[in-house]
Amino acid sequence: MKRKLFVASAISAALTGCGPISSALNSSGAVRRTLASAEGLDHLVIGTRGLAREYREHDVDRHFRVNGFATPSDARYMDLVAGNFVAYRLVVDGAVDQRRAFSLAQLHAMPQTTQITRHDCVEGWSAIGKWSGVRLGELLDAVGPRDGARYVVFHCMDNDGYGHLYYESLDLHQARHPQALLALRLNDAALDPDHGAPVRLRVPTQLGYKSAKWIARIELVGSFANIGAGNGGYWEDDGYEWYAGI
Amino acid sequence: MKMKAVYRYALLTRASHWVWVVAFAVLVGSGLQIFNASPNLDASDKSDPARRVLAIGSPSYGVGTTTLFGHTFVTTGWLGWTEDGMGSSGPHAFPAWATIPGYQALADGRRWHLFFAWVAVLCALAWLISTAIKGNLREMILRPSDLSKLWPMQAYYLKLRKEPPPHGIYNPLQKAAYTGVMFIIAPLIVLTGLALSPGIDAIANPLTAVFGGRQFARLWHFAGMLLLLAFFLVHTFQVATQGFANQMRSMITGWYET
Repeated sequence: MKRKLFVASAISAALTGCGPISSALNSSGAVRRTLASAEGLDHLVIGTRGLAREYREHDVDRHFRVNGFATPSDARYMDLVAGNFVAYRLVVDGAVDQRRAFSLAQLHAMPQTTQITRHDCVEGWSAIGKWSGVRLGELLDAVGPRDGARYVVFHCMDNDGYGHLYYESLDLHQARHPQALLALRLNDAALDPDHGAPVRLRVPTQLGYKSAKWIARIELVGSFANIGAGNGGYWEDDGYEWYAGI
Repeated sequence: MKMKAVYRYALLTRASHWVWVVAFAVLVGSGLQIFNASPNLDASDKSDPARRVLAIGSPSYGVGTTTLFGHTFVTTGWLGWTEDGMGSSGPHAFPAWATIPGYQALADGRRWHLFFAWVAVLCALAWLISTAIKGNLREMILRPSDLSKLWPMQAYYLKLRKEPPPHGIYNPLQKAAYTGVMFIIAPLIVLTGLALSPGIDAIANPLTAVFGGRQFARLWHFAGMLLLLAFFLVHTFQVATQGFANQMRSMITGWYET
């Protein structure tokens, strides 16, 4: 009986020890680099292939969950809202043949596509929305990426409350995916401020944090090493995977 | 009676066994960390409170509740409102001692989970292929002829029967457990884990659809974990009660005394 008691107490001691042990291992640089190696493997094996499932009107969440940072409340954004985004310009620059600044009317005049797709949050929840707007690939064609352009960086107007602006990035292959969309409308209405007005990204083949809201500027770069903390996105700088297909 | 030692477990089997022990512990702990970021399980594709099977939460300060199929239980201290690993308590579904890392960190939990998922799967494939080639897998797989021996074996365990039914290296209940774990539960866990990923859903829409959608896949993934945890508890109970030292030695050195 003594031995059984010993086994039971060893197991429970091991369990209570788990938290501190894993927390200590978790802060080791070598451990973190090893764990992070799985991302490259996932990117290689899964990549960006196929199409996210498209749903019927019936499946749409009429009140699409609001998430992410707080809706911008700075003077510049409030002025844009007050002026119905007439003064808004989507700047596309960096490694492009022709730097452009698109007004909302110009974006609406481009070919529009609609998708009813599921938004998969990294936290685990999902919601379905009907999104309309301009294919990102269409916009890239309009500016002409130069040789050396590898990534498309999205600079946003929302911040984390500590002065860090949200940003995200895709590689050109992901950006040219037919479902990578610059959404102007949600559920048959102009995008409202809480859902990222006037322009947000939709990348249904990856987790929700890639689908940046409140986009102000799109920059084509050869490397994102000098942007933010250099990991290609706000949440990536906080330890999340840049490749968010899984 | 004189003891006779037999070489029971090949090196690859022993190595794989302990790799799985570590991988399983990490995958459960990091999985609970990931679960904590959205502590609900819905039997649906998108999130749907109307089809919520499990919800762990904190309706008010200092109170933790668990709602299963609409029935709410107060689980303060265990689920919903738990210690955070840093000396205080808060609205965390699973407590810090059960999660990896201990403190709340979804990004880190995902890193541990997605790395050890590869470890577990690659290790399982290597072992499965090697064992199948050697022909030893046969001894572990439940056959139709074993079905009639399941109850007599259980009766023996319950001391309702003096002798176990005649069997090979593994008894019929062991075979049923191993077959269930290797060919039903483990594949279910791997496939549902893949199915809840948007990149995989895009490649294989039918995979996610077969499980009822993303949230449903998350539910199956969690249920599969519970089944594997149940296997683990029964397995360790049996090891602990049926010649603990001999069992442990055989899974370390390969030699088992009969």
